Amino acid sequence: MTWAKTIVKALKEHEISLIAYVPDSSIHQVTKLVDADEYFHLVSATREEEALGIAAGAYAAGRNAAVFMQSSGFGNSINAIAGLAIPSRIPIPIFINLRGEHGEFNIAQVTMGRSTRPILDVLGVPHYTINSEDRLEEKIKGALKLCYASREPLALCMTPLLHGGKNV
Amino acid sequence: MFRYSATKRILSHLDQQPVISNLGPTSDELWHASDRDRNFYTYGSMGLCSSIALGMALSCEEKVISLDGDGSILMNMGTIATIGREAPSNLIVLVWDNEEWAQTGHQKSHTSFGTDLEMVARSNGIEKSFTVSNEEELDLVLIQALNDEGPWFIVAKIQHEPYLPVAPVLPEHTLHRFRQTFVTEPDRVG
Repeated sequence: MTWAKTIVKALKEHEISLIAYVPDSSIHQVTKLVDADEYFHLVSATREEEALGIAAGAYAAGRNAAVFMQSSGFGNSINAIAGLAIPSRIPIPIFINLRGEHGEFNIAQVTMGRSTRPILDVLGVPHYTINSEDRLEEKIKGALKLCYASREPLALCMTPLLHGGKNV
Repeated sequence: MFRYSATKRILSHLDQQPVISNLGPTSDELWHASDRDRNFYTYGSMGLCSSIALGMALSCEEKVISLDGDGSILMNMGTIATIGREAPSNLIVLVWDNEEWAQTGHQKSHTSFGTDLEMVARSNGIEKSFTVSNEEELDLVLIQALNDEGPWFIVAKIQHEPYLPVAPVLPEHTLHRFRQTFVTEPDRVG
């Protein structure tokens, strides 16, 4: 099973049926599967904090929801995490494509990519870095279980060593 | 039109429909008008009131009412495009428009310089968009919105009034109480 299919399977097992996202070329490998699967409602947000708001609203109304974004857009989502998901205790799995890693070609992506995990640390948001397909199902499913048990947002940072990255 | 009086009027038309309120006085006034299980008060997350309402509307059958504000939705106008694109028939966005950031010192907002939020909504495909300036007009549109398919976008022009005391609510409690009215099995530890 490809890494993208493993993620989709884990989402279904946790009954996460609404995905709010801002497009990213690497994460597209997952969101195109989600878009083609009637189980899911894929919502295209204009901005990452909006995606967090949509996911929070879904959870409030009884539906599990996850968010997909790129590390540069993570910077646009911080107040929604700090001012909504954390104080309201809303478990939102946040899948982030980490730019600025191996093979990065764009200097403008480097600083936000490098800052993403330290910012998550400061926010107190647990996060795991996914570098390979090694024990992938166990890692994703375990992280999702923890997210819902703790009722906190949780981030899964996916690197080019997993998904191949973006090439010019 | 005054927001607190209009808020009470809105609630008089509702049964169990979920209501989500923008941060600050809008949430305080909703609490003072009636502290319902189906009220979702926000006290942070600037600009996200109607995005949260969109997520709710995509996750339940009932009409969802967002009580947003001009300053707030100006911060996140993209969500109007997303609402137009998703077009949930059960979403009613009501924007209290006082044409200013009242809480931070009455700085004029863009709607006092000509930004027309009704037109913004229309141009994003939300055809049922209206502007109302008194409670009677609001009543007429709201009753229609509660009975006919949306999405609906209502700009309600309001005047400044004194603030009520801050409502004694906790975000975690708000979320939990609201959510338990939707889930079939109550949330529990383990």
